[in-house]
Amino acid sequence: MPQAEDMINLGFLSESEQELILEVLRRDEELRLAEEQRVRKLKTELLDVRRKGAKRGSGRYSQRSCGRCQEPLSRLTVFSSQCKMCNHLVCRNCRTVLPKGSWLCSVCAKESDLKKRTGDWFFDQRVNRFSTMPGHDLVRVSLKKRPPPKKRETTGELLLRSTEINPDLPTPIPRTRQKNQTTDKGQSTQNSGSIGSRESFESREDIWSKPIRSDTESAENASIISSKTETESGRATPEQPRKENRSVQSSPTGSSVSSVTVPVKADIVNIDSTNAKANTAPDVKANSPSPDLDVDRLFKKSIKRDPRPSAEYVSTLDLRDGCDTSEVSMGNRSRSVPGLDIQEDGEEEEDIDSLVSFHKRTMASSSSSLHSSKSTLGSLMSIYSEGGDFDSVEVSGDVVFSMSYDEHTQSLQVFIKECHELACGDSSRQLSNPYVKCYLLPDKSRQSKRKTSIKRNTVNPVYQETLKYSISRSQLATRSMLISVWHHGRLSRNAFLGEVEIPLDCQDLDSTDMDRVALMAKAASAMPASAFAQYKGELVISLKYITPKKPTTEKIKGKKAVTGEGGELHILIKEAKNLVAVKPGGTSDSFVKGYLFPAKAKNTKKKTPVVKKNLNPHYDHTFVYKDLALEQLKGMCLELTVWDREALLSNEFLGGVRLSSGRETVKIGKEEVQMDSVGEESSLWEKMMQYPDSWAEGTLPLRSTMAKATVK
Amino acid sequence: MSDGDYDYLIKFLALGDSGVGKTSFLYQYTDGKFNSKFITTVGIDFREKRVIYKSTGPDGSSGKGQKIHMQLWDTAGQERFRSLTTAFFRDAMGFLLLFDLTNEQSFLNVRNWMSQLQIHAYCESPDVVLCGNKCDLSDQRAVSEEEARELAEKYGIPYFETSAANGQNVNQAVDVLLDLIMKRMERCVDKSWIPDGTVRANGPTNQDISESSDRSKCAC
Repeated sequence: MPQAEDMINLGFLSESEQELILEVLRRDEELRLAEEQRVRKLKTELLDVRRKGAKRGSGRYSQRSCGRCQEPLSRLTVFSSQCKMCNHLVCRNCRTVLPKGSWLCSVCAKESDLKKRTGDWFFDQRVNRFSTMPGHDLVRVSLKKRPPPKKRETTGELLLRSTEINPDLPTPIPRTRQKNQTTDKGQSTQNSGSIGSRESFESREDIWSKPIRSDTESAENASIISSKTETESGRATPEQPRKENRSVQSSPTGSSVSSVTVPVKADIVNIDSTNAKANTAPDVKANSPSPDLDVDRLFKKSIKRDPRPSAEYVSTLDLRDGCDTSEVSMGNRSRSVPGLDIQEDGEEEEDIDSLVSFHKRTMASSSSSLHSSKSTLGSLMSIYSEGGDFDSVEVSGDVVFSMSYDEHTQSLQVFIKECHELACGDSSRQLSNPYVKCYLLPDKSRQSKRKTSIKRNTVNPVYQETLKYSISRSQLATRSMLISVWHHGRLSRNAFLGEVEIPLDCQDLDSTDMDRVALMAKAASAMPASAFAQYKGELVISLKYITPKKPTTEKIKGKKAVTGEGGELHILIKEAKNLVAVKPGGTSDSFVKGYLFPAKAKNTKKKTPVVKKNLNPHYDHTFVYKDLALEQLKGMCLELTVWDREALLSNEFLGGVRLSSGRETVKIGKEEVQMDSVGEESSLWEKMMQYPDSWAEGTLPLRSTMAKATVK
Repeated sequence: MSDGDYDYLIKFLALGDSGVGKTSFLYQYTDGKFNSKFITTVGIDFREKRVIYKSTGPDGSSGKGQKIHMQLWDTAGQERFRSLTTAFFRDAMGFLLLFDLTNEQSFLNVRNWMSQLQIHAYCESPDVVLCGNKCDLSDQRAVSEEEARELAEKYGIPYFETSAANGQNVNQAVDVLLDLIMKRMERCVDKSWIPDGTVRANGPTNQDISESSDRSKCAC
């Protein structure tokens, strides 16, 4: 599947090559922007046509009037004037005759024309390819599955954006690596490719017989190599590790992130590196399972490696060991949305987080500006950090700070002076790289996050940094400041070193006296008392169960329900109201994601399109789950979550609902989970089951967390 | 070149082994020129060209011309760029798969490229045109026309013997690919007429909607 672009590591390219490619991408962007503009124009045209008096679903119209212009239709035309596409009866004037002699109503004709002109026919098909992944091969799925970013998004766009995010991109490459590059690849500059041309004129046979070069040709070639490495192990072994070695070096070990990566999914990376390593292990390689699986792995060679410092060392010694350990570390970062526990396939966009944050962490050493007020690109790990994806240590020490309100700039200023006697974040090496992070509670979104720089190798860091919040003074009374200290694990997970929460209503904000407060462990009741304690807005949806259309089973009612063949659950996501604004400018670009548990098919995930810049978005999108029996629904649970779409970074959770009968336990992944649907959530679900074939509509308050109660 | 005055943006991608003449092929197509010097492509590149497409109906009549803006992606054949180039496969609507008639290995690799396309393209059977390039070098020929046609037939794709040097069949190959794409586009849009059970945006396909509004009133 076309997922290799998930992680395109351009680290193997020389600087000038990267420049050349960037230039191409920029040209592409120009074209893309023009195209976007054209598409927008076309879509406006369609809207105009549509608005011209179409019948609305809600209104009552005469059967004998044109569905478009509402002119009365003559008796004769009624029979032959139904548009094939929308089923409206349409008068002669509102038809568009197609080249083939058939016709459609003006709106449908425009719509299908637009589908062609905008290229949507193509993008729709492409989206299909990604979302309807057969769930037969677990490895494959977990390797490949991820949300299609935006429907129209191109690889060029992704790449370009990812390089823009890392402006310091062509970073100086460590000398050793550069040297390696030139010797191994024989090409450090692009000057007319003298080496390249030699290579291309060399006989292919020749190239492929050198394992060092041929690592990524194809499945077929791979098996050639593998047989070679087996038979000529004497010669091949010293070369295999060398290759491995090289790729490890191009990985962002330490702070030299010179690769243009498109970080999308953490476990892809990890699994991949496992596979890639497994592949290089001679004995694993010999039995390459299916050709295209193998191709995939091979082609992901250039993917970012597991960032453990030991990787290089391990891999040069024993490849199989390396493969083991990377499997272990895979577990660590592949989970990042603890509260939102959508096991196997829920980690897609959420997992961007861990990757981005990892990426950021590796970059952070060079940029100490993460605390600046616009931290939208900052580490996202922290959004979910309450959930437990961090190492915990025995909390000790204190933090020295002051808080004051600056009337002049209308901002709250948190001056972080220093910390004393912190715990060691990295217990094995007895050191800490601490930084301080603040949230102006109750807002725990990235908008509210501020961070200091990271101080290296100390348990007594001195920051002397001021974190600012632009907020009017009157609003401060109801808020509190959460100051937490974290160990920045450059190659491992961050570790929580302690926190303090200062309610601002009893804080003197006019003095700049320093407070020295002992750090505390996370309160056991870190979870909000109720998922509804915080108002997150509402979601308006309609549910309908469509009974299977099987005339023969009508007699035996019980049986009909059991088979479930053809029974469908339709979920119309109408709109959300009063969503929380998380984007600058006080808006959110939201979409709704749905899961049905327990998952019969591998992937029950559905998503609505993104509605931009709207806190009261209308989605009007229907999710359809097929082949469900009414009986089954009783034990099922529908989760709908609203997210703020943030391209390439983590999507931010805006709220969710959980629909079920509210009494059952549902198996989600491997866990039995107690359904906690309450109020409207369960009554709507019941109503849907009670009245099949009709819509049950409800307005549901959004939960602020989707945390579940696990039944052991 | 990149103003939006066109009806369709069609994206093609040329692929094949290093040195088979992808860049030259596209250069010949867009600019009608040929440069015999070999300059290896770094990763990816693209060229653009505007053409007028006249659809031919089943009765042979030609419809009105459509302005097509073509974006022709050129990819590096060298394997070291492979992870990069294959990532671009998914953005292309059609593919020009080239091999070098004077280089048998490049022909043998067509199989691999096809399977790469199957994996990385937007769908499992994208439109491909196979081009045996460098047909002007007849004295160095290593792949017979029959062999190549046979392979193309096996995949059910058109085959052309092309020459980026003298321009032979270059336009034809691209034109045929364009025709394939435009036809596929029609099919795709036609197919989407078939109601799929979801609520349509611009009209009631069934009575559900009126029902739903009734019910929601009751519920209040």
